[in-house]
Amino acid sequence: MAMILPLRPPFSSLLRLRPFPLVTTSLQLARPLSKTQLPARPKPPPDSEIEESFLKGSGPGGQKINKTNSAVQLKHIPTGIVVKSQATRSRSQNRKIARDLLALKLDELQNGDQSRTAIVGDHKKKKAASKAKKSARKYKKLAEEKAAASAAAAGGLTSGEEGTQPQVLEVRQDIEEDDWDPEEQEEDEENHIPGDAKIPQRDNFRDGDV
Amino acid sequence: MPRLPPSIFWRARREISPVASLLLPVCRTLQSTANELRWIRDHVHRTPSVIPAGIRIWQLCEERSRGVPLQYLLKTQPFGPLEILCRKGVLIPRQETESYTFHLSSILSSSSSSSSSSSPLTILDLCTGTGCIPLLLLCCSQKSSSHFSCTGIDISARAISLAKQNLSHNLALIPSASSSIQFIRGDIFSTKFTSEIYAQHLPDAAEIDVLTANPPYISPSDFRSQTARSVRHYEPRLALVPDSVPSEVSKKYGCREEDVFYARILEIAGDLKPKRVVLEVAGWEQAVRVVEMAQAQRDTRGTDYKVIEIWRDDVHGVRDAGESTEIWGQRIRVKGEGDGRVVYLSRLLD
Repeated sequence: MAMILPLRPPFSSLLRLRPFPLVTTSLQLARPLSKTQLPARPKPPPDSEIEESFLKGSGPGGQKINKTNSAVQLKHIPTGIVVKSQATRSRSQNRKIARDLLALKLDELQNGDQSRTAIVGDHKKKKAASKAKKSARKYKKLAEEKAAASAAAAGGLTSGEEGTQPQVLEVRQDIEEDDWDPEEQEEDEENHIPGDAKIPQRDNFRDGDV
Repeated sequence: MPRLPPSIFWRARREISPVASLLLPVCRTLQSTANELRWIRDHVHRTPSVIPAGIRIWQLCEERSRGVPLQYLLKTQPFGPLEILCRKGVLIPRQETESYTFHLSSILSSSSSSSSSSSPLTILDLCTGTGCIPLLLLCCSQKSSSHFSCTGIDISARAISLAKQNLSHNLALIPSASSSIQFIRGDIFSTKFTSEIYAQHLPDAAEIDVLTANPPYISPSDFRSQTARSVRHYEPRLALVPDSVPSEVSKKYGCREEDVFYARILEIAGDLKPKRVVLEVAGWEQAVRVVEMAQAQRDTRGTDYKVIEIWRDDVHGVRDAGESTEIWGQRIRVKGEGDGRVVYLSRLLD
């Protein structure tokens, strides 16, 4: 505590009574998987195990019609898994997307909790939870500060200028003590990566039917 | 075409977007409407303009609702890894063409690796349009070690200028293209065509390895009754119906009106003696007629095609079912799924 104090802005000791999360502490904690440490994308199964269909209507083809439907549907023969992609206008690209999707589905089936989809999903969920918690805390604090300020203003109106300052401090102390939950803090630390900003918000991982 | 129930329009408005009900009559299904709207939006957001995006999306949907092909509105069509530019007056590349071009490319790469000759493969594409076939063949050959020298020919000046633009548009994917592809305006029905081709454009080519063509093949009655509205109203009739050929020329060949290009191309093939000929056709009946025309050349001109195959709509990446048929006592292998789409003739046994 004594080591930490000089690092704070001079007036923060008045307003905040709980220690700030500092770099020295977060380095000791286990980091979550970064993007490069996530399991590699699984390889699609060989073409001999795949039944491919292009889902087109009956009737004339070739020059007579100009279809924009480029959907590709794959069926994995050994497991019976069916995936479909109509994400792009290019059938070649849809074939590739569908194969990647099938590979992920098979990986999920074989490896369960240890599959790429599960690990990536877990990673994302943790990040989202941490983000939500941080934002909830921030807005809670703002709301309380606002409430305190209005309470102080109300107090100032009744008892004059002299009594204002100590009252505010008292209110704030209460807030900080209520808010501080050591367990919550610990959990949050775990998700804090120094290079967090480098990880894009959206992995280009596709889920479900695209 | 069955009438769409009003409820589906409400669903399109509610579940997709208010402009989706404009697209529904052309797209026919909710899924395809959602896809097209997504591609239109992507296009609008990718191409900057001073006009607000919402207005541009509405304008494009409105044009699409009148039947304008999506590829003319978005100005491109993916063709394998390539992006082919599309413009009014030039036929839009079809998915079937993409499929058989891939298949042809795999045949060429397997045969060139076995023969291991260093001379480039000479490819002649007649009725080239956007130039998609030679461009894709060249693009696929980048991975293998084989070298191609391609010539695309079309009668339409618009098509030739667009094909040249497509070449420069896809230069990043096929860096060797600028030196190995040429697009030339020419009339394949002119009597001097074969001599001119050799004299002017293929001076150092010993022989042509592959002759490909996607000629106009729809009969006038099929054009009225079977073509999609957007094709009939917005794509060039010149590329679809072979009735621009003078009637005395078609009488000379003594074939059906819609087969006149095949008669002429097979005649050219008899002169140029390409090793392989790949012809896109309208369907199974026309495929059989073209096979018979090719077989008839054996007696009249001594052109013997050792291998004759018919490829169906989806031939690339589709397992070979071992299907075959017999025409005039010759066994014809049939590959792929769907309707008859290509007649493949080869002088080589491979």
